[in-house]
Amino acid sequence: MSGRINYVSWGLAALGIILLLLAPLRIADSPYIMHLAITAFFYAILASSWSLLAGYGGQFSFGHMAFMAIGAYTAALYGTYVRISTVATELCREIPFFGRWLVILNPIGVTQDGQTCLDLAKPTMPPGTVIVQPSIWWGVLFGIIMGGLFGILIGALVLRLRSTYLALFTIAFSEILRAVISAELNITRGQSGLELPPLFPNGVTFFGYTFSSTSKIPPYYVMLLFFLFTMAFMAWLIAGRFGLFIRSIREDEEAAAALGVHVVRYKVLLFTITAMIAASAGAIQAHYIGIITPNILLILQMSLVISMAVIGGLESIVAAAIGAIIIEFALELLRVSFDIGPFTVDMTTWRLVFFGLLLMLTLRFFRNGLIHPIILYFTRRGVADETVAKRNVKSEM
Amino acid sequence: MDNAAILGWTLLWLVVWGAIGGIVTPRIYARKDLDISDAPLGGAIIGAAFGPFGLIPLWIVTPGFSMRWLVAAGMVILGIIAFAFSKAYPTNLCVTDGSYVTSQLANGLVIGIIYSLMALGLTLIFSILGVVSFAHGEFYMIGGYVVYVMSTSVFAQDMSPLVWLLGAAVVTFVLGAIFEVFFLRVMGTGKIERPVEYAILVTFGLSFFLQYLAQAIMGASPVKATRFWDFPVMALPSAENPWFLKTTKGSLTLFEVIRIPNARFTSAILAVILLLALMWFLYRTWQGRGLRAVSQDRQAASVAGINPNNMNTLAFAMGAMLAGLSGASLVQVFSWLPQVGVPAAARSFVIIVLGGMGSLPGAFLGGLIVGVVETMGTGCVPDPSRAAAYMPAYGMIILTLTLLLKPTGLFGREL
Repeated sequence: MSGRINYVSWGLAALGIILLLLAPLRIADSPYIMHLAITAFFYAILASSWSLLAGYGGQFSFGHMAFMAIGAYTAALYGTYVRISTVATELCREIPFFGRWLVILNPIGVTQDGQTCLDLAKPTMPPGTVIVQPSIWWGVLFGIIMGGLFGILIGALVLRLRSTYLALFTIAFSEILRAVISAELNITRGQSGLELPPLFPNGVTFFGYTFSSTSKIPPYYVMLLFFLFTMAFMAWLIAGRFGLFIRSIREDEEAAAALGVHVVRYKVLLFTITAMIAASAGAIQAHYIGIITPNILLILQMSLVISMAVIGGLESIVAAAIGAIIIEFALELLRVSFDIGPFTVDMTTWRLVFFGLLLMLTLRFFRNGLIHPIILYFTRRGVADETVAKRNVKSEM
Repeated sequence: MDNAAILGWTLLWLVVWGAIGGIVTPRIYARKDLDISDAPLGGAIIGAAFGPFGLIPLWIVTPGFSMRWLVAAGMVILGIIAFAFSKAYPTNLCVTDGSYVTSQLANGLVIGIIYSLMALGLTLIFSILGVVSFAHGEFYMIGGYVVYVMSTSVFAQDMSPLVWLLGAAVVTFVLGAIFEVFFLRVMGTGKIERPVEYAILVTFGLSFFLQYLAQAIMGASPVKATRFWDFPVMALPSAENPWFLKTTKGSLTLFEVIRIPNARFTSAILAVILLLALMWFLYRTWQGRGLRAVSQDRQAASVAGINPNNMNTLAFAMGAMLAGLSGASLVQVFSWLPQVGVPAAARSFVIIVLGGMGSLPGAFLGGLIVGVVETMGTGCVPDPSRAAAYMPAYGMIILTLTLLLKPTGLFGREL
């Protein structure tokens, strides 16, 4: 690849990043657009990590949202049930923790008037007792770890088998997770959902500006930076041995194994990494939204992520991410209804129908997605011709 | 000791020894240069059934695994679980009331037959096209909606339910055929890299499309069709002493213990008739033989004058139709939503993996097993509200065990 082309792609990437970083200057007044942007980054993380798993690695998992939900629910359960107190409550289950007490609350279910053991213990505790909620970032970390653990377990179980089994198993896994979360009302509060504290419960001060806990600007930057970090991380993975190995596994497992690639190990590793990325995105998004319900596990959500990756371009994480951002905005803009003669077409439902059709047609006719060819056009103009020309020369000789 | 803990410890014992048997046995067999294809399954079953007393002789003798021994050991495991359950929950209906158990069992078989019908469609598609249709649940959903729409529409509501079923069959067959021709036929041309992955994604896209199409047309609130036929009210041998058979319009009681609701019963009868028709089609008609020939050997079949492309279309359309028909007969049992196909499809996946991908008898037997396990699980687990919510979990346990112990399934071909 010649230097000029490298400059073009790096330049475009840098331009995009600067635009995203500076965007709040224009859109910060509109919480709606800020919210859309944050959600778009969330989906971009999911779609690009799914494209790493499916497009690069060839492992078609429908459980990506399940890992996302594992991360989110771990963070939520941690935020709901773990407190730090300076004095032992004597009523709850508690663990000594660096001179304080790590208090684990008892689940009280969906009732509004129920009292946790901490509420019961409060009147008996001496004055001056401080009870705080530990930092939410530990919850996010636990969410990532849980996502990774489940990724290892499921990967080790299914990835020895053919790709169809992975797809079957993960779709069933995500259904079951939804059933379990909906059923365990006591702990997860079922359909009414678990509430989470915002990302910065006490607001945040940055460069002299103070943002309240409800301001959308800090979550925007958290999500954006996390998005950029995961993109850089995945790009680094792809560029090295790891990327080469997983692509060789995608193309031909037997040949890869014959050349010394430990196929199952790399598949499980890839699966775990993408599961952890999904889990972390889920945990952060759950804290930003403030509530989490089992409905994030509906197959619709998974379909959305897959459609974003496919329409963007399955075999490029950048294309998948751009596809996700564009589609998230497009879906919102399509929330209109119009009349055709006597019929009123409510696009809030029909947009998804057209979207599904677009997904199928893209798969059928544009295997590289719709965004990826555009990126290629700008960044690698002439490269394809050059390669083909060289091959022709060789065959003539 | 707490009563409920007995069951927990027993299950832990079974799992631990099963895991030891499943992990160690293949190693020992491999060290002795013996066939290890059945060793994980055999080791796990014998380990769980007899614990160390079974495993150590097994490891010393290392016999070949015979079906008879494995089934016997499986029975022992079921016996242990049943015994522990009866000790742990002595007041549970499943322990105290034999007629309840029989009734649950019968209901499980009845619903299992319908599950089988749907899974047969999926396995038929897999055996011919070599892909799993992820839109199977959506054909099931559409079959149900077609019957619902016909049963409430002005011009068809007075017709026989058989006409409604025929309508559902035609709609799903045509949809399946169109989809196959436009989206799956290209797989055979070599223009698509990695056709299996393409098929997974494109059928998934279809399921997305159909779900939202149904939601846009039918709305998101649940509907339910009326039951197709009322039972004739009977009491045999006499009205005073109906020990053999007693029916009301809505349900049927056999031997005074087995009670089956009307809707499930008629659905199961329909399913049996359809299964027989499918068998007749596959074994007695030219098209059916062509299908089986293609599933055995594509090249040889095309040499013999069978067009594999047409057989692909036929197989996919028939698979879709079978799913549609099982949905059509179940719309009188469950309330219907656009998302209703997702758990049904997940269940079909469990069944075909359990039975062996592409095996027709496997799909049938797997359907019965899953039906019985789900019904017993829902009926016996002590906390009924939770038990119903966990219904898909039983299938998941079966799926996990199958993948761990015998990924080829009951009747599977080698992978």
